[in-house]
Amino acid sequence: MAVDVMAAPVEHSRRRVLRWLGMPLLLAVVGISLYAYVSTQELDTIERRVLNAPGLTDRVIEHLQLAGLSTLVVIAIAVPLGILATRRGARFVAPVVLILGNLGQAIPSLGLITLVVLLAGVGFKSIVFGLVAYSALPILRNTMVGLQQVDQTLVKSARGMGMSAWQTLTRVELPLAVPVILAGVRTALIINIGTATLSTFFGVQALGYVIFQGIQLDRTPVLIVGAVMASGLALLVDYLAGVVEELLTPRGL
Amino acid sequence: MTSQATPMIRLDELTKTYRGQPHPAVDRVSMDMPRGEIIVLVGPSGCGKTTTMELINRLIEPTSGRIYLDGDDVTRADPDSLRRRIGYVIQQIGLFPHFTVAENIATVPKLLGWDKKKIGDRVDELLDMVGMDPSEFRGRYPKQLSGGQRQRIGVARAMAADPPVMLMDEPFGAIDPITRDRLQNEFLRLQQQVQKTIVFVTHDIDEAIKLGDRIAILGERSQIAQYDTPANILASPASPYVADFIGAGASLKRLHLSQVSSVELDTGCVTARIDGDAEQARERLRASERAALLLLDADGRPQRWVDAGDLSSTDLFKAGEPVGAVVESTSTLSEALNAMLTSNSGVAVVIDRSGAFQGLLDFETVMVAARSERDFYRAAKVPS
Amino acid sequence: MDFYEYLVDNAEPLSQEALDHIVVVGISVGIALVLGCALGVLAHRSPRLRPPILAVSATLLTIPSLALFAMFIPLLGLGTPPAVVALVLYALLPIVRNTVVGLGSVDQSVLRAARGMGMGSWRRFLRIELPLAWPVVLTGVRVSTQVVVGIAAIAALVNGPGLGNEIFRGLRSLGSPFALNLVLGGTLGIVVVALLFDAFFIALRRLTTARGIR
Repeated sequence: MAVDVMAAPVEHSRRRVLRWLGMPLLLAVVGISLYAYVSTQELDTIERRVLNAPGLTDRVIEHLQLAGLSTLVVIAIAVPLGILATRRGARFVAPVVLILGNLGQAIPSLGLITLVVLLAGVGFKSIVFGLVAYSALPILRNTMVGLQQVDQTLVKSARGMGMSAWQTLTRVELPLAVPVILAGVRTALIINIGTATLSTFFGVQALGYVIFQGIQLDRTPVLIVGAVMASGLALLVDYLAGVVEELLTPRGL
Repeated sequence: MTSQATPMIRLDELTKTYRGQPHPAVDRVSMDMPRGEIIVLVGPSGCGKTTTMELINRLIEPTSGRIYLDGDDVTRADPDSLRRRIGYVIQQIGLFPHFTVAENIATVPKLLGWDKKKIGDRVDELLDMVGMDPSEFRGRYPKQLSGGQRQRIGVARAMAADPPVMLMDEPFGAIDPITRDRLQNEFLRLQQQVQKTIVFVTHDIDEAIKLGDRIAILGERSQIAQYDTPANILASPASPYVADFIGAGASLKRLHLSQVSSVELDTGCVTARIDGDAEQARERLRASERAALLLLDADGRPQRWVDAGDLSSTDLFKAGEPVGAVVESTSTLSEALNAMLTSNSGVAVVIDRSGAFQGLLDFETVMVAARSERDFYRAAKVPS
Repeated sequence: MDFYEYLVDNAEPLSQEALDHIVVVGISVGIALVLGCALGVLAHRSPRLRPPILAVSATLLTIPSLALFAMFIPLLGLGTPPAVVALVLYALLPIVRNTVVGLGSVDQSVLRAARGMGMGSWRRFLRIELPLAWPVVLTGVRVSTQVVVGIAAIAALVNGPGLGNEIFRGLRSLGSPFALNLVLGGTLGIVVVALLFDAFFIALRRLTTARGIR
């Protein structure tokens, strides 16, 4: 859904330095404040049942498992599909995929996952399946766009030097498309982290569980811990993904 | 002091210093620009000529010094109302893409609060003036115009509120050479009609010589190396810098200074109507000493060259050869020479504004003109 | 009961919820448009403020929607207010960024000519800059709306209005025979709302883009 929205704008160096240092600093401050806030609260038994270190650790782990696994699956499916869709002979597929994808953008995440769970049953696997369905578009689209924007004269000259179609793909086209594909992966990852908070309604207790317990039990500390931790986790993952993106981008691009 | 003697624009010790730069971009420039003349600021890129020009309409605020417009000190006047009194044309033209041609031209009159009727009439008048049919072009958008047409609209827009002064920053810079030549000629003709005081910036010395009544050759920091008429600058450059800037081929450049109408044309050419009788035409050609005859159409516009042999054909529309070099009488000798060289004929056919035949100009005449001008300037240089 | 019968029987509550959905999205995007344009203009004019403005709007979009909705409950209680505030924050980035891009893509020579003809800065903004940047700004609004239509479904979890309630009701009755109809009704309803908004923006773009730059 947020593909166009998240493509990172070009930054100049000073701002980048500020960003690389700024986000961890911000997260540290938020984390410490959250801890200080919770320590000053007198927690009742209900609150303590949710807000305890082992419990919260489990919530984070489940959250990361959901988002991580679904992102890996979606990469494994969408990248090859994107490559196939841009091969000679299958080029007519590309516009069809993009149109379907744009229509798919209109489907709300909550509805899609609920439908998947209704059809496939409650549980971890169904949720991963739902997340995969919902986050496939950014990677698929970015893979296609990334490959299509590779300068065709480079492809021609690679073939002209005697590289096979496979060699051209792996040595020329894919490396040049990597930055765009990575941007798609990062977007998908963030979508999955965000959508994974909804898993609490389908039997998996990720950080959304804490938030929803806070709402249902009308316990503000619980709600705040859940919301802040979920946000912090998303920002941290986005930050790390940004660092990885930077490191994996081939030099010279 | 009579108003006639007051310069239209006077720059007095005008200086612009940008923060953090050791030298001023424009350093104590003083200049008087007489009314009704085209004053060209010319110099290498980066010399500050555009900055100097933009100090006049205060797009750039001067650090020190004074600007007088028609005798009024406008150094502290409200810049927006000042700019509405000064026409402004830039190289990229900057037509508003979401306005029609008419709306573009109407910009300043609207800012000045003219009524609708007056604006509409003025728009049509200006379109006529720049040779574009109002009914056809009024409602068009800039993207539906050619480069030359956009340029004309840019000039029309600048003249909309009839400002006494116009600033033009390389207005013909981005236009192909052939169109540029035509637009320059149109511009000169227009100027004869409207008699504005025009400050014109260019880096092209040939353009400066062709258009300027007065040229200011600028050096670094907009220092005036020489400020004089083109003829005087060509004849006696004030410094090696100026001589360098004019460059080699100064005698050819002098041909830029004279119009075809300033030399004597050969009017003895035999002509005949192209839709007339071939037999009569042959008789007339034989009666003259000429080798060829010029066929004209009903409006007197030159069509084809024919010799005696060609006239044996009855279809005159196909006889002989089409005329090659055609120049208007307002063209410069340099353009006429150019036309002769490119069409590979030793003679140019001269026409008037309506396209009607006026006479012939041959290679010899041009050469003599170039030489005599040089002699003239040489004579002028020696104090008598 | 099959889905078609369900739709016919529940046409009235469904259309009411669809209307609520449209209203809450409309209000949120409307507020985001004003706020986003203002921030976009600020970011365009001040190179110093541009990075923080863009970074903060991007960060907002990274925050999980459920978390953002929940965060405003202690301040605003349950219901429409926290929903609208969260949706406005989500809608900001595309509008802010497209405003910056749109204003930045206005031809500098056009602005120079306008200034040279004596147009004041306010008039220059309203008559030249904004109309020329408008198609790009509007595209941002359209993207924002698509984002917000989907996220508004989650507002039901904080007792917000709209078709999300339909999905949420189905979600609470997982396993019952009505669940599928409820979820399908809500989900498809949201898709229809999204498509309606898209059609609206296509029409709006045609109507509000100056002819010369179409």
